[in-house]
Amino acid sequence: MAVCIAVIAKENYPLYIRSVPTQNELKFHYTVHTSLDVVEEKISAVGKAMADQRELYLGLLYPTEDYKVYGYVTNSKMFRKLHNSFTDVMCNPFYNPGDTIQSKAFDGMVSVMMVQAS
Amino acid sequence: MAQCVQSVHEFIQDSFVPMVAVLCSEDAEKVTRKNNLNFSELLRPFCRLTSEGHMRDPNNQVQVVKNLRISVNNVVTRPSVPASGTPSLAQRLLLSEVVSTCQPAEGGVANVITAGDYDLNISATTPWFEAYRETFLQSMPAADHEFLNHYLACLLVVSSSEAVPVEKFLKLSQEQHRIQHSGEYTNPKWFIPNTLKYYVLLHDMSQGDEHRADSVYEDMKQRYGAQGCYLLKVNSRTAAAGADEQIPDPWSQYLHKSSLQNGSLVNSLDSTHPLQLDTSGDTPGSLDALRAVAVETKAGTAAAAAASHGACLTLNDHDRIRQFIQEFTFRGLLPHIEKNIRQLNDQLVSRKGLSRSLFSATKKWFGGGKVPEKSIAELKNTSGLLYPPEAPELQIRKMADLCFLVQHYELAYSCYHTAKKDFLSDQAMLYAAGALEMAAVSAFLQGGAPRPYPAHYMDTAIQTYRDVCKNMHLAERCALLSAEILKSQAKFSDAATLLIKMTSEVSGDCDLRSALLLEQAAHCFINMRNPMVRKFAFHMILAGHRFSKAGQKRHALRCYCQAMQVYKGKGWSLAEDHINFTIGRQSFTLRQPENAVSAFRHILTNESQQASSQQAAFLREYLYVYKNVTGVCDVALPQLPLPYINSSATRVYFGHERRLAEGEKQAATHVSLDQEFDRDLAAMWRDLEEQVVASANRGVVPATFQATQCCLNSQTDNLRFPLAVVEEPIIVEVVFRNPLKVPLVLSDVSLLWKFTLKDFSRPQDAAVGDALAFSNEKETLARLKLLPHQTGQLNILGLVYNLASTPSTGGTTVSSSAALKSDGPSPADGTSVRGRQDLEIQGPRLNQTKEEKTSVSHGPDRRLDPTITPPMPLLEVFFLQFPTALLCGEIRKAYVEFCNVSGVPLCGLRVVSTHPDFFTFGSSSLATPLTPLSPTSFENCSAYKTLATPPGATPGSVAAVTLVSAGDFGLGEGGSGTSNGVAEIPLEDRVLKPGQSTQLPLWLRGPDHEGVHEINFLFYYESAVKGGKISHRVLRHTVFICASRSLCVRATACRSNTLPEEEAEEEDERRNGSMLVFVDVENINTNEAGVREFHIAQVSSSSKQWRLHRCINPAEDKDCKLNSRERGKLCFRATRCKPVQGTIMTSIEKYIFADLSLGNEQIISSTTPCADFFFRRCPPSDSRRPPVAVETQGRLSRSQGAGPGGGAEDLTSLVRKCNEVDLDIIVLWKAFVVEDNKQVILEGQLHVALQTIGKEACSLTQKEEAQEMVLLKFKPELPPPMTRPSMEQLSHLIKTNLHYPESYRHPFIHKSLCLVPVTLTLSNCSLAQVDVIIDLRHKTTSPESLEVHGSFTWLGQTQYKLQLRAQEVMRVPLRACFLHAGVYNLGTPRVFAKLADQGAMCETSQQTATPALIIIINDT
Repeated sequence: MAVCIAVIAKENYPLYIRSVPTQNELKFHYTVHTSLDVVEEKISAVGKAMADQRELYLGLLYPTEDYKVYGYVTNSKMFRKLHNSFTDVMCNPFYNPGDTIQSKAFDGMVSVMMVQAS
Repeated sequence: MAQCVQSVHEFIQDSFVPMVAVLCSEDAEKVTRKNNLNFSELLRPFCRLTSEGHMRDPNNQVQVVKNLRISVNNVVTRPSVPASGTPSLAQRLLLSEVVSTCQPAEGGVANVITAGDYDLNISATTPWFEAYRETFLQSMPAADHEFLNHYLACLLVVSSSEAVPVEKFLKLSQEQHRIQHSGEYTNPKWFIPNTLKYYVLLHDMSQGDEHRADSVYEDMKQRYGAQGCYLLKVNSRTAAAGADEQIPDPWSQYLHKSSLQNGSLVNSLDSTHPLQLDTSGDTPGSLDALRAVAVETKAGTAAAAAASHGACLTLNDHDRIRQFIQEFTFRGLLPHIEKNIRQLNDQLVSRKGLSRSLFSATKKWFGGGKVPEKSIAELKNTSGLLYPPEAPELQIRKMADLCFLVQHYELAYSCYHTAKKDFLSDQAMLYAAGALEMAAVSAFLQGGAPRPYPAHYMDTAIQTYRDVCKNMHLAERCALLSAEILKSQAKFSDAATLLIKMTSEVSGDCDLRSALLLEQAAHCFINMRNPMVRKFAFHMILAGHRFSKAGQKRHALRCYCQAMQVYKGKGWSLAEDHINFTIGRQSFTLRQPENAVSAFRHILTNESQQASSQQAAFLREYLYVYKNVTGVCDVALPQLPLPYINSSATRVYFGHERRLAEGEKQAATHVSLDQEFDRDLAAMWRDLEEQVVASANRGVVPATFQATQCCLNSQTDNLRFPLAVVEEPIIVEVVFRNPLKVPLVLSDVSLLWKFTLKDFSRPQDAAVGDALAFSNEKETLARLKLLPHQTGQLNILGLVYNLASTPSTGGTTVSSSAALKSDGPSPADGTSVRGRQDLEIQGPRLNQTKEEKTSVSHGPDRRLDPTITPPMPLLEVFFLQFPTALLCGEIRKAYVEFCNVSGVPLCGLRVVSTHPDFFTFGSSSLATPLTPLSPTSFENCSAYKTLATPPGATPGSVAAVTLVSAGDFGLGEGGSGTSNGVAEIPLEDRVLKPGQSTQLPLWLRGPDHEGVHEINFLFYYESAVKGGKISHRVLRHTVFICASRSLCVRATACRSNTLPEEEAEEEDERRNGSMLVFVDVENINTNEAGVREFHIAQVSSSSKQWRLHRCINPAEDKDCKLNSRERGKLCFRATRCKPVQGTIMTSIEKYIFADLSLGNEQIISSTTPCADFFFRRCPPSDSRRPPVAVETQGRLSRSQGAGPGGGAEDLTSLVRKCNEVDLDIIVLWKAFVVEDNKQVILEGQLHVALQTIGKEACSLTQKEEAQEMVLLKFKPELPPPMTRPSMEQLSHLIKTNLHYPESYRHPFIHKSLCLVPVTLTLSNCSLAQVDVIIDLRHKTTSPESLEVHGSFTWLGQTQYKLQLRAQEVMRVPLRACFLHAGVYNLGTPRVFAKLADQGAMCETSQQTATPALIIIINDT
């Protein structure tokens, strides 16, 4: 299960970010932000080879001592759900692309994916 | 890694240099002391050799030694550092001191790195890291497993001034031997048993005998050989002569640093707690020793602080020293090393074949051949394995080190490689790791490297050092070297990983190291081919964190600031806030309060996403920091960021706040800050003001007119400086917004202003502010009052207030509903800071010219810059008994009180209203005294002035007539159209003195339409003292009146065909004719509860020409009472008044009021309330008619002589005129209303204006008119076409009347012809001359004439052609002749009329349709 889920805009600012142990939010933010370097690296590397059929799965981005950071994957149900939910958000005519995501449905979906903090 | 000053090769070479010990005699020490230096220090700047040296390797190959540096140190026999592998406390302190003193230069070189969207400003070099590294490597204790920093040689220094220098040399030599071989000392460590001893004779040029020195040197040469000794001559210069000569000081860069280190080190040592020393696990001795050294050097440097180093040395001396070093190195040290390498090589070669097999064999036999199975865990046991110093295993390592030191890296590598294998097979892990490390380094350093750099060697070495040997010190060194090498090979990623690995463990002691390494790792990330900005930033933050843990605040701050560049403004608000918060804290502790404040401000002002508790913490911290900042410098109040002030929403109000009611009195509403600004209303008030100003200035609005604005806001016109009056408050309303989730408490809010005195009047004392306090949640208003005491220019600049968070005591979180604390400064429980915020209002955007349209420029906004003017009168208006609901047309009397509350007399009081017909103050010129009785005495009295009707008179018969001029009622003086809404208020003496108040009666009349009416009054007044900046002042009042329906009056006028019957009537009156007026009154009141019934008390008329004559109602006073929905009809005769009355005073037209009372008292309609409302009725009858009609009479006389020049327009109006009546009917009523079980009589009046005969007029003007939409017309409207007067209109020119007896008896028997005299009266209704043709000829073709039995004939002249002057009545005697008895219609004469000067075109028959029947009776 995930402890932190973040949707990051193309320009690398967070559209949505949520983590379960809320007291450690800052740390997760830092981790996510730092992982973006790897995402950028991977994307630019792939982009040269085959721009069209780019694999969406970026795999392990950044292992820290406690957690592993994954890039967007399609081969797991979890990420597909997230993707679908994100697509729904994007399809909302009232959503302004680039704004932070404030959707209850998306929130709920993410909550399901999260570690249930006891 | 950041760029370094040294190249990698330089760095590694300098890390491992040959070590030379110094033993110095006391005299020699004295010689060098003259320069504030000891011997080793004296040599230090010259220890790098500039020329190349040569040596031969064991294979007799010449090896070039380039750029060699040697390290010369005094022999210190005390053990400096225990070989525990962890840095000692002293060492740590030293390192931390080195790092903290080395700070980036202010405004130093920073290179901008562009990576993706990021432009980062990063310091290119990290000198603190290099300093750390250098110090770290230098302070490495000599280890047993390696020889690189063991002493290779020893300089024995003796002064030439010594009595027997040779003996001294001997002594020193013995000393050295003792130190090395006695076993008393573990320190220092020596490389080779037979250490090179080099004998140096130091000669002081300024003191000693040079010849003697030379001779001693010769002796030494004999004794030790020319290559083993040296004569060094120094101190050529006398200290006294040094002042005027400038000699470069090469020592400073070496010694300054070290002395500083030592000096501050002592301080830091002294400040440390002794207990801490004990717990640190250091041997106290070492610390004491270090301290002793430090004190020693400190004392030295303290003395030296004044005099610089090397004061007795000339440049020649410098050269000599340099030469000495070179000589020593090339003639002494290098050959010594060469020799040793050769020896070692020989030993090894001789042993080679045997040793390996022997060793391994013995090991197999004795050790059980357990090498391959051994895991790392088991290997740990062997980490403590120590070879004896002379163990053969170490010889190869020793040789390798020697080779390395003289830059023979190939040989060194192979030796290290071999040694590594040996050590590994021996499970001597520490030794193996050392060998691996050096093998890797030498592999890297090989020129034109045949083999790649074996990075895995390094990794293994580091791992071994760290995990097996637990020697972090060595691991760190290894990592530093490796990272530097990797960096040089552009393997930044590997270098970063390596560095991060070194920091990953969390042992609190190594914060400084971790910080530095993390920072270097961050630099690695940014230097990658694809710069990893975010990793850089993250590691910078980690580094900053460790720095701050290590107490390196400055570095921590720098790291955070650099990381900030990446996070800033990218939406990572949580991280951004965290960084800002840390920056704020660090800046604060570093006494950079400005930075701290700005960082905190960032957290608070950016729309914070933090939780409220976090925000509260931030706020508290901010306030605390802020307080300290302001405590330091309280010269100018600093700007506070919170709460936000919506500057443009600021409103400024001039004047006192109004009391709305005072007892029964109801004050004028005026303007208050509580009202919202309404553009339409503002325009309406402006119009009113313009009207009243125009009337005050004889109909002209002055060019400088500016509408009074009492309350300025963002929508008002703020281009001019507003005018405020001295001693009248200025209230500023400021809108605050709190962006935080935590409440803020503002207290002691006051305005900040600047006042410039201007000489409007004599100076007075200065103005003072105010105090106001409140707590704040989301958006709050604050009103601040300023009371100017002097005239001049005031500028309101901003606000000053105390800002505090809510005290954190329990239960205050619910303080959203403004916990008002108005008493004084806030209690001391929360920190509060005093600061200011400026009010800067941007004016409206200019959009006039093209330039303004294309650019964005804003106009000025002068809201906050009022000019204080001398005192002006101030009026207060109160209303008494002012109703809120009225019936339509109801008359009510109320009172107004005018109060001059200022110290200046007031005059020119006027009032203008949107509904001028709603009220009247009465007419001043009337003789009726204005009764200033108390209003209570008038209760239940009629508002009208009444007279009891004479008892004998029948109601409705007598019409009292009064003549009144319109001018008496304040109308008509300025001409027809202007200033209709303005009324002057009749004040006594026309002036209201200071403090004086007057009560005036005010009559109100309910509006004609039902509904709620908003009625606006604008009182205008001037100062009796002229010449002020403010020409006038105004006071606004708005009332809402609810009008309900009362009566509806319809009236019609009919021409009466009959002539007045009374013989007594005067000729004139008869000629003028009369009219019938039907008045139809309907009770349309729908409010059943209130009004019981209406009584029509009186009907009055008002006209210039007509008056009501008498009531000719068939039924007596039955119609006077009207219940709900009842309708009554009244019928009156009206007569035209004598023209004489109208013409006597032609200049002022008089209105004739005629009262027909239906009750028992007559209301004098020509007096105040009634006539006032009649004249105030909107619009007055004069302006309703085209102006032509007014002048007709004058024109008529002129046009009589004139030809047919008069246009059709003239004609039309003439013709119309004759159909016009100008009669206004005033219906006065009383309503009986039950109110609170009490019957109240209400009075009222309704007006009906009759204009045209036969046309119905109604008291209720048609609603449609008002509601009709005005069509937008784009084409200019065509002038109405010239219309001829219609036939119908023309037919009313002449009124005809036949006068004859109703029946006529005639004896036909006696006389067959019956002659009846008939008089035809012709009356010209028009004001023009009319030609009339009367045709009596029988041409009746109408069927009705056939019905008439028989016919008759007119006798005599059958055709008359007459001319009738205006309004002339003419009688034409006619005779009719009848032959038989019977009924005849006499109405056969046909009358044609045309206007005299219009030719035939307008001729028309003036047939009266009514038959005139006559009965002829045969009188037998």
